[in-house]
Amino acid sequence: MAAIGIRGLSKSFDGFQALSELSLEVNQGEFLTLLGPSGCGKTTLLKIISGFLEPSTGSITIGGEDVTRVPPESRDTALCFQSYALFPHLTVLQNLEFGLKQKGVSRDQREVRISEVAAKLELEAQLEKLPNQLSGGQQQRVSLGRALVMRPSVILFDEPLSNLDAKLRDQVRVEISRIQQDYSLTAIYVTHDQSEALAMSDRIVVLNNGKIVQVDTPEDLYAKPRTSFVADFIGGANLISGKVSSQTEKDPITIETSMGQIETSQCVKDNVENVELSWRPERAKIGEGPYRGTIVHRAFQGQFTDLILEQNDTVFRIRTNNDKLCVGEVINFSLSPDDVVVLEADK
Amino acid sequence: MTLRDWVPIVALLVPGLGLILVLIGSVVYIAVAQSFGYYALLGQSEFSLEFWSDVFGRKLFSRAVRYSIYVGFWSAVLSVALAYPLAIWLRKPFSGSIGLGALLKAPLLVHGLVAAFLYINVISYNGLLNQFMQGIGIWSEPRRLQNDSNAFGVLLLQVWKNMPFALLLLTGAVQSISDDILDASRDLGAGPWARFCKIIAPLSISGMQAAMVIIFIGALADFTFQTTVGPTNRQSMAQLMVSFKSRGDWHSAAVVGVSLMTIALLGSALLAFTSRVIMRGGLR
Repeated sequence: MAAIGIRGLSKSFDGFQALSELSLEVNQGEFLTLLGPSGCGKTTLLKIISGFLEPSTGSITIGGEDVTRVPPESRDTALCFQSYALFPHLTVLQNLEFGLKQKGVSRDQREVRISEVAAKLELEAQLEKLPNQLSGGQQQRVSLGRALVMRPSVILFDEPLSNLDAKLRDQVRVEISRIQQDYSLTAIYVTHDQSEALAMSDRIVVLNNGKIVQVDTPEDLYAKPRTSFVADFIGGANLISGKVSSQTEKDPITIETSMGQIETSQCVKDNVENVELSWRPERAKIGEGPYRGTIVHRAFQGQFTDLILEQNDTVFRIRTNNDKLCVGEVINFSLSPDDVVVLEADK
Repeated sequence: MTLRDWVPIVALLVPGLGLILVLIGSVVYIAVAQSFGYYALLGQSEFSLEFWSDVFGRKLFSRAVRYSIYVGFWSAVLSVALAYPLAIWLRKPFSGSIGLGALLKAPLLVHGLVAAFLYINVISYNGLLNQFMQGIGIWSEPRRLQNDSNAFGVLLLQVWKNMPFALLLLTGAVQSISDDILDASRDLGAGPWARFCKIIAPLSISGMQAAMVIIFIGALADFTFQTTVGPTNRQSMAQLMVSFKSRGDWHSAAVVGVSLMTIALLGSALLAFTSRVIMRGGLR
């Protein structure tokens, strides 16, 4: 049985359709990420799962039980807020035991659970401190600990890393993944940061305009985006339109584009003439190759260099380990047919 | 700090703090000195405990103290108790909330004396309430509602007048609590009452204390409502002070005045301390 079942879920606010007919199943112990740009409906979906919003239509089950109209205080979920939402007048210890007291957990049990979580999150030395005496990372850990002591069926994260600096974000990201695996928690994680989603998730749900665009593993989502929106949102792919020029069963399909002829090993539906292609910047092999472009911009990123190339008014991006290339140079490159993805039209 | 550091600090403080200290200090000094026999307007000025022992020996005084504390305490508690749910309700804007908030604060614009006379029109022997109750057949004849011995009329007016003030302070305090904090408490299993006791009240305690203290002090020294709608068988401390003064007994009036200030100070501190202890107790 799925840990969470979402069926035909819609939500509208004063005529604005925030979510449209979403259906989704989350497996027990799975780390699922809701990914999408601002305003795509991911936080609305999280608030419906946690009970803070009621859907306009559709239903939600947690552990097989219909919780569509159950208020948040009666749901077996725990939410980690973007702002941490620690109670500023309570010490770390009191914050951790707040929910346990509400649920009527005995004092002995409270002590056991808190000491276990405090040890796991290295919070023992902070228990008597107030939240404003802690660093951002420590506050995030308290917020996580406050959710973990509840031992919920489902833990929900609402962009928990967005207030942390880059270094701390990496550190806390690893901690969250480790704890989710250690406790075998079913987790739903909301973010607009695609690198966070790719690094942490078992599956990613890409949302746009209140609709699910694609649900896949990070690897498949990156390698086989279905639409130009997904291709562009995840990893910033190069998108190019073209016309099918030859299609046989044995050979790769050839597409006529403004870059020249591009081959893809993917299938194109019969009778489809115009297609959109996507290829990842790091898949281009610089050197010999049928494609050619002039470097118009160069951005050194440390481990790699981003190059913006122009050819016949077409602009595309290439990622390379070669940091010796300069603006104005003309380079050749090739693409493997396996790395060129044929996209579906955006709905 | 050196003298050079102190000079600008003192110079900056003098216009504000200095003026307040001079004004308050001179009034308090005169009241205290008069209560001990100094600054006599009639007769000899000399140190004496006679006025204190005389006033404290009167039953009238002890009754006035108890009565004023009763009015002050209940006015503060009831005003805050009524204002809290309204402040929570008005915390998030909704259609018409601005108009409603303005309407609730309208009593602040009505002078206490005007309110008292309007109230008399409602509860007098031939007033609106009597006419209404007889009209719907609940009462067969008019009832005497004015100057009730429990001072419910005074309390009603005090609450009517002070609740908007408490609302003003509490709305600001409650609005400063973020949605995420309230949502987090809900998510952790806290129902409406637990959210109020454990989150809203402790986080808005400063506003609540300020409202309680200011209303208590104002209601403790009430004169207007007491003389218009208060019970006729007892006096408030302010009323007693004025009656001493009217008889030319400035020293006894000063004793009541100093007592009033002391009770206001101690009562406020006690009220603020108690409310904090209760709110902290709620967390355990």
